[in-house]
Amino acid sequence: MNKISNFRQLLNTTAFRLSLIYALLFSLIATVALSFIYWVAAEQIKHQTDERLQLETNVLMNRYHGGRFDALAQTIQRRNTDSSTTFFIYALLDRRGRDINKSFQPEYISADRRQAYATMTLGAISHLIPVKQKNAPARVLLTLLPNKHLLLVGADLNQQKHLLNKIFSVVISAIAIIFTLALLGGVLMGRSVLKRIDAVRKTAGEIIEGDLTQRMPFTRRNDEFDRLSLVLNRMLQRLEQSMQGMREVTDNLAHDLRTPLNRLRNRLELTQLKNPDMVDYQKSQQDAIEDVDALINTFNSLLNIAQTESGVKRKQLEQVDLSQLMNGLGELYEVVAEEENIDFKYAIEDALSVQGNLQLLAQAFTNLIDNAVKYTPENGCIRLQASRQNDEVIITISDTGLGIPEDQREHVFKRFVRLDNARSSVGNGLGLSLVKAVMDQHNAEIILGDNQPGLVVEVILQAFKR
Amino acid sequence: MNILLIEDDLQTASFIQKGLSESGHIADHAEDGEEGLQLALNNKYDVLVIDRMLPLRDGLSVIKEIRKQEVETPVLILSALGEVDHRVEGLQVGGDDYLVKPYAFSELMARLQALMRRSQPTQEKSVLTVSDLEMNLIKHCVSRAGQVINLQPREFILLEQLMRHAGEVVTRTMLLEKVWGYHFDPQTNVVDVHISRLRSKIDREFSKPLLHTVRGAGYSLYDPDEEN
Repeated sequence: MNKISNFRQLLNTTAFRLSLIYALLFSLIATVALSFIYWVAAEQIKHQTDERLQLETNVLMNRYHGGRFDALAQTIQRRNTDSSTTFFIYALLDRRGRDINKSFQPEYISADRRQAYATMTLGAISHLIPVKQKNAPARVLLTLLPNKHLLLVGADLNQQKHLLNKIFSVVISAIAIIFTLALLGGVLMGRSVLKRIDAVRKTAGEIIEGDLTQRMPFTRRNDEFDRLSLVLNRMLQRLEQSMQGMREVTDNLAHDLRTPLNRLRNRLELTQLKNPDMVDYQKSQQDAIEDVDALINTFNSLLNIAQTESGVKRKQLEQVDLSQLMNGLGELYEVVAEEENIDFKYAIEDALSVQGNLQLLAQAFTNLIDNAVKYTPENGCIRLQASRQNDEVIITISDTGLGIPEDQREHVFKRFVRLDNARSSVGNGLGLSLVKAVMDQHNAEIILGDNQPGLVVEVILQAFKR
Repeated sequence: MNILLIEDDLQTASFIQKGLSESGHIADHAEDGEEGLQLALNNKYDVLVIDRMLPLRDGLSVIKEIRKQEVETPVLILSALGEVDHRVEGLQVGGDDYLVKPYAFSELMARLQALMRRSQPTQEKSVLTVSDLEMNLIKHCVSRAGQVINLQPREFILLEQLMRHAGEVVTRTMLLEKVWGYHFDPQTNVVDVHISRLRSKIDREFSKPLLHTVRGAGYSLYDPDEEN
């Protein structure tokens, strides 16, 4: 059962079917070629036989030269009895023997009508000369002598026939061997293809079962299967990462929402107490609304990041006037910083433009500037700069706040991550995640550095190209 | 004012209806797109509030049909789809404003107010006044009690928005959209800072404050003496 299904599988592989077609085609070509060789060999043998018959006849005719008929007859007699020459048969036919004509169908008659070739069985001339095998094929050359007698020189074709048969069987075996080998090659090739595909299928099966750490097998040959496996592995890597990210988010989400939800629940429960103070009651209500707003905010941010990361918005990339955007943000935050007694200055080059989504970029830079304002103490300073260098637009936001320790700089882009010294301030730990998602979408680079003291954020965007 | 509310969630609908009637408006309610379309075509409303996802006929197609029949009533779209391109899509088919769920009731009211005022034909004024505050849109200058007030360009636009909606509540989100063109909320309340700066310019040296904070909602510019 298993064997049959394995065989079916083998039959169904492209490699096997291709090699089957190849085997058939190759065998066909071999057949044609070998048939040609066989035909040429047969012709050649026939030609040689005819030449030797002619030679023998010429020798005998030389003996006859000058009408010495008896000498010829003697020679013939001697030759026929000489056991060493079994190949040739000689005869002199007089009028009586000329009924050979009945079974004699000349294939070729010479121009002087004195010579004729024919193919026949030895049986046809057995009444004229003693023959060993009556049904053996013979090639015969008849020569008309001046005294109206006929000289017959025949060749026993048995040997030639054997030779041709041998060639024929060799040709047939060669074709059979070629076909078998090609077919065997096909089976082997199909099997090896099947084996590799089976390995991939097996791994895929394990992945389907839930083991995302599995990877497709590959060899060092770097053939098409290896390349396919490597691409699949890269895809799996990406998938695993997103799954990992998703799991982290879900965990964090459950954790980070539990606290505010619990707080909200407590507040609402408080209002159920008997005889609540009206002022307290209204305060609880207001706080509850604020809690809900904060929750909604977190949800919106998460959704925003998810949508940005999935690249949904990629389609609406347009030319964004970055100078205008950054000046607007500078103006917006200048006032806010001033309120906090922070020295805020911005220097934006003119005519900076990038390919992107205005709202997303605005939100990302807002988050960055917002952070700078939030974490910079009084009398600190914030600098916002944007300039073009070759094909890149570089935006730097530096502050004199707490900064981010070097080992935390990758970490802060993850969702819900808040550094210990930032826990007390407002925020949901999603601001930088969105920044990262937006910059990834824009193929931009974002580098966090040390401003000594403080943080310097450098964003490198590709300048807009027409 | 006559308002038509097309919303399939009954609780949301009754909540909005209640809120509207408390502010002195009459709101009809339709539960699905077809019913809503019939009501909108056969009655005269001042403003339509249409949920985007509705049974039988979706909100956008209702708006498309209404606009095809040349009904020019202002439309506020309510939607759980908050992406920028959803918003653009909604405004393209003929909606006038777009509010993403979940929203604060004060936000909804403020936006409805703004839309309803738009449905009444008003002449484009070149001078806006609230009490003794005067804004000349042509000369691009502002004065209070005859005293010229110097405003930054952005402050001018901010004040213009407030003056155009004098007596109405204007929310922070509305200001972010109209004045700065941002469709998101920065974490820090940047609008508050700008308002307080504006306030210091137009109110500080005068005994009567005109720019008021409406708790939990936004801001409103009005003459407190005229209000009651």
